[in-house]
Amino acid sequence: MTDLHWLSATDIAKAYAARTLSPTELVRALLDRIEKLQPRLHAFIRLDAEGAMEAAKAAEAELANGHVRGPLHGVPVGIKDIIDVAGLPTTGHSKILVDNLATKDAVVVSKLRASGAIVMGKLSTHEFAIGGPSFDLPFPPARNPWNPRHHPGGSSSGSGAGIASGMFPLALGTDTGGSVRNPASVCGIVGLKPTYGLVSRRGVFPLAFTLDHVGPMTRTVADNAMLLDVLAGHDPLDPGSAATNARDFGALLDRGVAGLRVGFVRHFHEMDMPAHPDVTAALEDVERILEAEGAIVETVTLPKLSEFAGINRVILCSEAWSIHAPWLRERPEDYGALARRRLLPGAFMSAGDYVGAQRRRAELIAAVNDKLRDYDVLMCASSMDPASEIEDAAETARTYPRQARAPFNVTGHPALAMMSGLSHDGLPVSVQFVGRYFEDATVLRVAAAYEKAAGWYKKHPPI
Amino acid sequence: MDPMIAALAKAAGLDKVLAKFPADIEHAAAQALGHAEAVKYPTDPAAEPWPPMKAETAL
Repeated sequence: MTDLHWLSATDIAKAYAARTLSPTELVRALLDRIEKLQPRLHAFIRLDAEGAMEAAKAAEAELANGHVRGPLHGVPVGIKDIIDVAGLPTTGHSKILVDNLATKDAVVVSKLRASGAIVMGKLSTHEFAIGGPSFDLPFPPARNPWNPRHHPGGSSSGSGAGIASGMFPLALGTDTGGSVRNPASVCGIVGLKPTYGLVSRRGVFPLAFTLDHVGPMTRTVADNAMLLDVLAGHDPLDPGSAATNARDFGALLDRGVAGLRVGFVRHFHEMDMPAHPDVTAALEDVERILEAEGAIVETVTLPKLSEFAGINRVILCSEAWSIHAPWLRERPEDYGALARRRLLPGAFMSAGDYVGAQRRRAELIAAVNDKLRDYDVLMCASSMDPASEIEDAAETARTYPRQARAPFNVTGHPALAMMSGLSHDGLPVSVQFVGRYFEDATVLRVAAAYEKAAGWYKKHPPI
Repeated sequence: MDPMIAALAKAAGLDKVLAKFPADIEHAAAQALGHAEAVKYPTDPAAEPWPPMKAETAL
């Protein structure tokens, strides 16, 4: 079997069942791949090769004895370094927490281990999931496998770079203003921000309590549904966790989109933040493909992006300030410049600003819910531009906020970003699908139909 | 620096940042103002904030 590094989790499970592949064989191949690519891509902060091989041997023994824990048994996964993995440091890619050894697994990591998944190590992030691509931190920033001169998005940057480059098929990211969907968008993979409350955040270093989500990142939609199946579930000790019975997120993947109603939020990328022409052209292609597959696509209007973005920032900065204030007061020099600059505005926001934003948030939620009464899903841009060069700080600062992801952190609706084409420079561009609360399966259904028809999942970076 | 901004920074306990990274303080104050100005507050006095105290079974 060749090219083990491009196997999806679904393919890996099949190969294990057919005894044509073993977990140790796969992990060895991926460790070789990581050794080759890590010096260029810096996806890992901490590779746990020894732990991964031990887990692979354990999985191999269980599988040989016919004990199959589930479809992720023996499948490698990377973990963003704000999520606790017992025995490894959770640094948040920051000097502030560089020696912060986790003593317990986060709930999502416990669930992965119980399912038999193999934890490969801890992945690069923007500092505390809020900085940007930075060169003044204890670890180098991850780079984009499609062109390592470019950034891989973030904040779940190592997750995006590692999946897109074939270091592992699955990863966990977190998303407070778009941090799962940004790397998914610019690395050409699939990233889902599930419905708020669907996945436990316990054991994940918080950024903003009412906006934080943990989400699955994968190369295929089917893998994304499979990973979400393992992650989802009520956690009574996570105050934001929802007691929902939403399950079996892959159940609708083969149903296609015939007859589904898709609301296309064009003004996000046409008027509110005019997108790069390659992004716009790809979105038009998505519309054509969905219509050809039988969906009914109509233009819809939501409140302006700038208002969603403003509310996201007021809430995010206020909540993040309440977490970081003690360190910002005492150890400001231990933050990278970008994170420090992005965290400090919270000190200048009033209680009235915060409560006012939360009150308006309820109205924006109602506006999105109103559209989702008439449409099964919404479709819109994710990133308005392909990834900029990582060392071009000015262009990165200009393009990073040009996105339509934050609205769905504000509202909590499930939102998935995936590849919709390549720019003229050979960099991925993307589309975003948004669904009703706890109808993550419908979002995945539309994504699967588009993926199958468009075929971008077959395209890998030339690395 | 605007003395009001410096006073607010001190009130927030940011003396060290003010001394070491004064440009960050000015930038943060401008950003905070910009973000807050982008928010239209509800006109209905009875409009309550999200989230509810606990999500429980639904949002």
